Amino acid sequence: MSILAYGDTNVLIQGITGGQARQHTKDMLEYGTRIVAGVRPGSGGDQVYGVPVFNSIEDACHEHRIDASVLFIPAKAVKESALEAMNNGIRLLVIVTEHVPLHDAMGLLEEARKRGVTIIGPNTPGLISPPERTKLGFVPTLYFRPGFVGVASRSGTLTYELVSRLTAAGLGQSTVIGVGGDRIVGLRFSSVLKLFEEDPNTKAMLLVGEIGGTMEEEAAELIARGEIRKPVFVYIAGSTAPEGQRIGHAGAIIAGAGSSVHSKVAVLRQAGVQVGTTIAGVIEMMKENLR
Amino acid sequence: MKLYEYEAKKIFEGAGISIPRGALAASPEQVRSLAEQLKGPIVLKPQTLSKQRGKAGLIGFADTPQEAEALGRSLFGRTHEGELIDTILVEEKVLLKGELYLGMAVDYPREQPVILLSPSGGIEIETLSQEKPGLIKKWPINISQGLTDSEALTLAQFIYDRQPEAAQGGGPFELKQLLLCFYEVFRKYDCELAEINPLGIREDGSFIALDGALVIDDEAQFRHPELLRPRAQSEESFKQEQAYKAKGWTYIQMGGEIGILSSGAGITMAILDLIHLKGGKAANFLDTAQMNRQGIYEAFQIFHNSTGIRCLLINIFAGLNRCDELADGIKDYLMAYQPPFPIVVRMVGNREKEGREILERIGITPIAGLEESIDQVIALVRGPR
Repeated sequence: MSILAYGDTNVLIQGITGGQARQHTKDMLEYGTRIVAGVRPGSGGDQVYGVPVFNSIEDACHEHRIDASVLFIPAKAVKESALEAMNNGIRLLVIVTEHVPLHDAMGLLEEARKRGVTIIGPNTPGLISPPERTKLGFVPTLYFRPGFVGVASRSGTLTYELVSRLTAAGLGQSTVIGVGGDRIVGLRFSSVLKLFEEDPNTKAMLLVGEIGGTMEEEAAELIARGEIRKPVFVYIAGSTAPEGQRIGHAGAIIAGAGSSVHSKVAVLRQAGVQVGTTIAGVIEMMKENLR
Repeated sequence: MKLYEYEAKKIFEGAGISIPRGALAASPEQVRSLAEQLKGPIVLKPQTLSKQRGKAGLIGFADTPQEAEALGRSLFGRTHEGELIDTILVEEKVLLKGELYLGMAVDYPREQPVILLSPSGGIEIETLSQEKPGLIKKWPINISQGLTDSEALTLAQFIYDRQPEAAQGGGPFELKQLLLCFYEVFRKYDCELAEINPLGIREDGSFIALDGALVIDDEAQFRHPELLRPRAQSEESFKQEQAYKAKGWTYIQMGGEIGILSSGAGITMAILDLIHLKGGKAANFLDTAQMNRQGIYEAFQIFHNSTGIRCLLINIFAGLNRCDELADGIKDYLMAYQPPFPIVVRMVGNREKEGREILERIGITPIAGLEESIDQVIALVRGPR
């Protein structure tokens, strides 16, 4: 089992005719994702690797039941496209796009809250559920294996790094989610932890955090309240990042936005979480505790 | 992108919020002629992006044009937190009977705008929120609805109850109107932060923005091209920054001896941590999640020409991109140029085998382990020279 995405999740790709969208549609299909339709205004009737393309989500929804949508849409158009998906009753959106304006993101998330829609991202590599052989986004599948560790991460590349080591250590994954590197993202660490807690096949969790923001602290609070009973392991990057600079993720702003790695580590440890200070360290910890 | 005070004020004025009469001066002579035009006591405000001008004694007052010119002469050419004072806002001095604080920010954890309002203006909101939290009203806004008329009235009433002179004329209604205008500015300009502090209360009970700050979301700059210009940095570095931004790169100088070219913000942070842990120091890094053959070639040029690098670490975990393409980029560069430092390549991910073969043919053995690659870099910078 896994969370949010399953083998029978019907997926739509918005902006399917773009270069990257095509490539990743192919990769997702090869992995096993059930992509039932794509949307690109003006390209209705075309096909991308056998996936029918529609002019609008409404048209696509006439032909197919759609559970989730992956948006490969330019930043300027993300808000409008995501609203279109919500208006057509799609309940899970994965927004891989980087550089979505803050006010657009706030507007979207407000709408999503109102309608009970789950948004992953923006600026996420997506999610992958190895036991269900489905992925929504562009994580490189090579390193993922079915198993019982649930992973949530703010960074794409760090996810690959840690998951490849989990796999090498014999620890497969139930679902791996990149929650997104922006200051504002839909699904936050605390919500992912709750979902993993309820998933019978997830036995332990790994959070991959970074400097800036408050998601790690929220997770710590949740754990301290006793709402998460399964073991949680954490690695946080950026303890020596230069002060006052943006590293790349809007979320990794050091100046004024959230707290340092050290204070994050402190509150997590206080909540009883095992925190590794290096990548190798956290994997070692998990190996010792989980096997 | 933080705006200068005079830019923020111009925007406030456009939205119907009154500001003091005044204009910008670029020389002591201009300060004098503006003072002559304004008549009466004036305020000199150097236009810098860093805060704390008042505490640094950089905000000046003058009663006559002669005094103003002399004061201007003493301010121009000074630096404040690294910024050269070359522009001064010259304004009329406004008579007040009270000061309020008005701010609006993004509450990141709650993913919505929040208004901050206080009858205690002029001081820093951080200090106020610690010392007298009861004096700050924090009001979250549902962004789909916007700030409603009745919410704005509730907020205005909060101030009116504590400072009745705040609205002598029209009761709390004038402040309500101002709040609505301010929210419009926040939305229209994609603000991360908007602030009027102090918001002055004039003798007749009307409001005036004595100082203002606006921080525009970088990702929304495309909606406000009229505001795009160098800010507290040279024209050259501004252009460079814009060029990197257009490519989706982040480039940061750090002053050590190891250059880092890597794919992704998270992994770059992890690399910095590991280098630090092993006693090394990064010279600079360039992070890009989406790099192709041409991109890696261009990135190489940046490192080649930067001073102080004793070793370059290239770390690629190809997810969105491909190892073979990136290896081709490295090959292209090394065929054309001889960099003045050794190179360590750590490469895994999509099409790893193909990439490895390309590099091996030009005499580079890529490393698969992250820690291993960093050990090798550290050994190289410490080794005999």
